[in-house]
Amino acid sequence: MSEQLPKAKVVMHWLVAIGVFFLFVSSWWMLSLPLPSEDFTYRQLPFQLHKNVGITIMVMIVAMIAISIVKKRKKLQIQKSRLERLAALDHLLTYFLIIACCISGYLSSSFSGWETTLWWLVELPAWSEENDDLNILFSDIHLWACWALLSVVSVHIGAALYHAFRNDDVIDKMFRL
Amino acid sequence: MGKYENQVEFKGNKINTKWIGLVAVIFGVLLLANHSNELLKQLVIAPGSVAELGVPADCRADELEEEGLSLLECELMVSNVQITLVSSPEWFRPLMFLLSVSGVLFAALSISVGFSFVNNKNVNVNWAKSCFVALIVIDAVIFIVATNTGPLLRAQYLWSTLLWFFVHLFLLFAVVSISSKEIEDGA
Repeated sequence: MSEQLPKAKVVMHWLVAIGVFFLFVSSWWMLSLPLPSEDFTYRQLPFQLHKNVGITIMVMIVAMIAISIVKKRKKLQIQKSRLERLAALDHLLTYFLIIACCISGYLSSSFSGWETTLWWLVELPAWSEENDDLNILFSDIHLWACWALLSVVSVHIGAALYHAFRNDDVIDKMFRL
Repeated sequence: MGKYENQVEFKGNKINTKWIGLVAVIFGVLLLANHSNELLKQLVIAPGSVAELGVPADCRADELEEEGLSLLECELMVSNVQITLVSSPEWFRPLMFLLSVSGVLFAALSISVGFSFVNNKNVNVNWAKSCFVALIVIDAVIFIVATNTGPLLRAQYLWSTLLWFFVHLFLLFAVVSISSKEIEDGA
């Protein structure tokens, strides 16, 4: 039987999954909306929601990493197979890319001069004055990090399906509450 | 109520319920994201909004460079909103709103059904069947609703809705095949 993961980590894993896919599908749609101006405010709600969900995902990822570190300290070091090492690399890359997407998105927004108010309650600080070059740079990093994330997530889902078809107990820990 | 192991043997063939559970969860996650986005669409693109008033697009050169857009693309983005507004009959928005909310709820339910299958817990097969039937009904209604709009909205909705319809049909019959095994075992 596979190890029992903390319930909080299992719940956060699935909330992050829903959030990430929502951000993908909504971002493709919202970028087709008219560019913002005094008259055209169609992008306001989707962009603010995009930033809120993104920041919330990042907080959850940081919490998941903290839980993993605490758990790892308690665990004995066991020799891992090549496939297990690849899986660990996939997890590490997923965490890294989600954080990269969130930070680059936040910085891009910050340099674009648009304010970020977390869930319409807490105003987050802008890092500097409006700067188009840095906005474009971080926007490009955001874009490529997100494409890379989609690839890594596809591998992650493929691996989960592989284990489910084999009917082994590798994926069970992510479904046990 | 019936208790299911991850492998159910049926006439010598083993049915792996774990992958049915995983597939239900993965598609549930994707569907939840999809319906949430549809809900957002219906909230944002409201009748009487500025795109309907013929206000020209505001396409500043710096914004165009930032987004990598041509002037024509920028102007067509307003037309994109107009397409949705002009093609939507009065009943379309409230109906899609209702269907998206129902879609979000049943997608969440399908995730919990999938969890039960993977966890090898007592799975209420009738609940699982009802959940997938409800999702099929939602897909079918969205399909009918889109069919009764103009060609521009039909092009946006019909194909993706048909794909979801078949995904849910597949999941429903996976669950039905498990429950029919229970009936045969009981006979």
